[in-house]
Amino acid sequence: MTTPAIETIALSRRFGDFSAVRDVDLHVAAGQFFGFLGPNGAGKSTTIKMLTGLLAPTSGSIRILGEDFAANSAEIKRQIGVVPEGMALFGRLTADEYLRFVGRMYGLDRATTRQRTRELLEFMQLADEEGKLVADFSHGMQKKLALAAAVIHGPKVLFLDEPFEGVDAVAAGTLKAMLQRMIARGATVFLTSHVLEIVERLCTHVAIIHRGQLVAQGSLDELRAGGGRLGQAVEAPAFASGRARTLEEIFLEIVGADREGNPAATAPEQELSWLR
Amino acid sequence: MAALKNGGAGLESLRPIPASTQLLAVAWLRWRIFANSIFRRRRATARHAAGIVLAIILRIILWPFLALMVVGPVAGSGFWAWATIAHGRAQSLPILLAGITIGWQFVAINGLSIAAAVANLDPASLIRFPLRFGRYFVLRTLIGIMTPSTVVGCLSSLAAAIGIGVARPGLAVPALAVMAVYAAMNVFLTRMMGAWMERWLANRRFREVFNVLIALFAAGLQLLNVQRFAPRVPRGPHSALFSFFQGGSATLHWLPPGFAANAILHAWHGLPSPLPFAGLAASTLLFAAIFAVRLRKQFLGEYLSESAAPRRAAKRGPRGKAAAQEEIDRPARALAAFPPITAACLRKEWLIFRGNSAQLVGLITPLIFVAILNRGQLAAHPALFLPGAIAYVLTGALAGLYNIFGADGLGVQIYLLAPIRMRDVIVAKNIAALVLTVTEAVLAWALVSFLKRAPIPAATQISTAFWTVFVILANVTLGTIRSIQAPRKFVPGQARQRRGTPTNRTSGLLILFVLLGSVALQIPVAWLCWHFHQPWLAVWIFAPLAAAAAAVYGLLLHNAERLIMAHRDVLAEELCKV
Repeated sequence: MTTPAIETIALSRRFGDFSAVRDVDLHVAAGQFFGFLGPNGAGKSTTIKMLTGLLAPTSGSIRILGEDFAANSAEIKRQIGVVPEGMALFGRLTADEYLRFVGRMYGLDRATTRQRTRELLEFMQLADEEGKLVADFSHGMQKKLALAAAVIHGPKVLFLDEPFEGVDAVAAGTLKAMLQRMIARGATVFLTSHVLEIVERLCTHVAIIHRGQLVAQGSLDELRAGGGRLGQAVEAPAFASGRARTLEEIFLEIVGADREGNPAATAPEQELSWLR
Repeated sequence: MAALKNGGAGLESLRPIPASTQLLAVAWLRWRIFANSIFRRRRATARHAAGIVLAIILRIILWPFLALMVVGPVAGSGFWAWATIAHGRAQSLPILLAGITIGWQFVAINGLSIAAAVANLDPASLIRFPLRFGRYFVLRTLIGIMTPSTVVGCLSSLAAAIGIGVARPGLAVPALAVMAVYAAMNVFLTRMMGAWMERWLANRRFREVFNVLIALFAAGLQLLNVQRFAPRVPRGPHSALFSFFQGGSATLHWLPPGFAANAILHAWHGLPSPLPFAGLAASTLLFAAIFAVRLRKQFLGEYLSESAAPRRAAKRGPRGKAAAQEEIDRPARALAAFPPITAACLRKEWLIFRGNSAQLVGLITPLIFVAILNRGQLAAHPALFLPGAIAYVLTGALAGLYNIFGADGLGVQIYLLAPIRMRDVIVAKNIAALVLTVTEAVLAWALVSFLKRAPIPAATQISTAFWTVFVILANVTLGTIRSIQAPRKFVPGQARQRRGTPTNRTSGLLILFVLLGSVALQIPVAWLCWHFHQPWLAVWIFAPLAAAAAAVYGLLLHNAERLIMAHRDVLAEELCKV
């Protein structure tokens, strides 16, 4: 059995009396394109922050590439790449300067850093922005730069928090192509996104978090067949047309259910008074 | 894609990253940020040219003062240390070293937001890189070390060592060694306090207490200063201030300044000095260790915010909900006399002000200073002291008038999109700021009248009233124009925000010039009154000025829509950037 790329056991995080993430057991095999889904405030970003060492868990353990994160954080950070929620760029640098800094922080020698910086800027179509400060970049350009910084050291596991948010179609195509190439080379990609069509097209496996708890985990085929639900076994509704259910339908069915597992209402119960 | 060469799971045994590579990378990062902030301007436009010229003028004006603020303590420390050894006044050395530490730490605490603004780099963000804790500790100690407090403190320590060496050359080497450790102790003390305060300041209640403590400390220093120079307090070495420090010198022997001083004095008298030096070294290590404990938590991903608090609202019972509704309704009823848009904006301003205790403390502190300054020589001349006191308290209060949209941030879009008259919004914001400004002026007036040491003539009071109206209205007008032309995004009450003040430098200078100009206006008017023996002449001068200021403000409101529309791109660009 191969070592999983990401594994968490009873991972929890509390903020005061609020439980943001509760007993999450994730299992992501190496080489998977893994989608981590959930509604707003479900605990996706908190989980990613814990998986990348930006936030300490209240309890539970994290193993990345088979190693305990708490015991080997520096070694593990060398093997992972992160595009965090706020991108965490240094606005007063140019793209070239930023990538060179990141490369050196990951221990790349000067020649390699320079070469990869040049390649990445070309690949991300940022080479023409020489001399422009990152703070003056558009949101999409900043996303592309953050992704370039996340991959400059050739990570084995890539964590992406909403990588396609605010990115135009052309840039999104570039990013997707790059992620596919990483997967082809054996890297693992763990991404969160609200754009379920993209997740459905890119990811082979998915986990859904809702109110801080993992409610589903498995391959897309498993979820389509009604499997992968944690806690509640739900009968997969059959479609008269016989077509496969979309990820959006599965997602709505799972996160729309109430605490007792009753299926979600398809239309809001309350109407807005001025729209009646 | 040369970057993507690794494959497969499992950690490879990678060559360790040399510490020098990462430390030099961060040093290079700091250098590039510094160089870019000087040589690369964001979206340089013609408007920036004026800003650059103003910034140069500002620097030319300020640098001599800043240089004096450095040269003063450094030369003073060197001379004091020399005099201590040369004249055999050994008991003064711990006092000097304590003075260096107090100055160092006080400036460092007050400069937290300045340091953050200058650094333009949150060192805590470095935890995402593959750093070992030791390197993170070194980086956190070194990043931002070139703050004014550290530079002046280190130079003062060096000057003290040189002063001792000049007085007695045989002491030069031990003094340099001891002062080097003493400087390191101060660096770690600053870092320790900074790191722990960052933790505590994440708590809103602590921020409020901290603001009050800083205000009281500043007021206490003013009080000591006035006590020192008050006519009835004996001057010279028997003054209250000197006695205060002398009384504390026995305690100082058990603190780092005493350890450092005794280590030098033991060397002077040829005594073995392991104990005092060990005490100094132990203090340094203790501060470094406490700093490390805090850093370790940050390194492991500590969360400092207060995000759990909003959940409590959901647990409110029916009675709590009714009280909350009443809280919303009460100001709405009080504002019923205003047009709906103005009332809504006023309510919003009130909600923001209510949650900003720092602003409240900032309004109270100048009044305490007025009470203290009332003991000084100037207070004997109420014709000058009354307008002077009002101008003094207005200095801080007026800043809010120069950036009325700053706290709205992204919310300014609502004003630009909604089908409302911007004049109503401006009026609401000006009323909100004026309530504070006028309250501040009235309280200062009442304070001076209550504590007066000489009667204030009626003519002075009335002319000061007109002068105050003129000053406030002139500032409201200029402030509103500046708010539209040069807005600046800021978060009220936020600790360690990158922009420590609500106004930009140009607006800050403008406030100062308008206030100084207004105060300076008092001088020829007072001379005219004196020359013609007509104390009421001042009233006849300031009353028309106040009326003119009111008319100009009315003109501004009349043209508000046009002005806002002409500058909506500036408002949107500056306030809506994320």
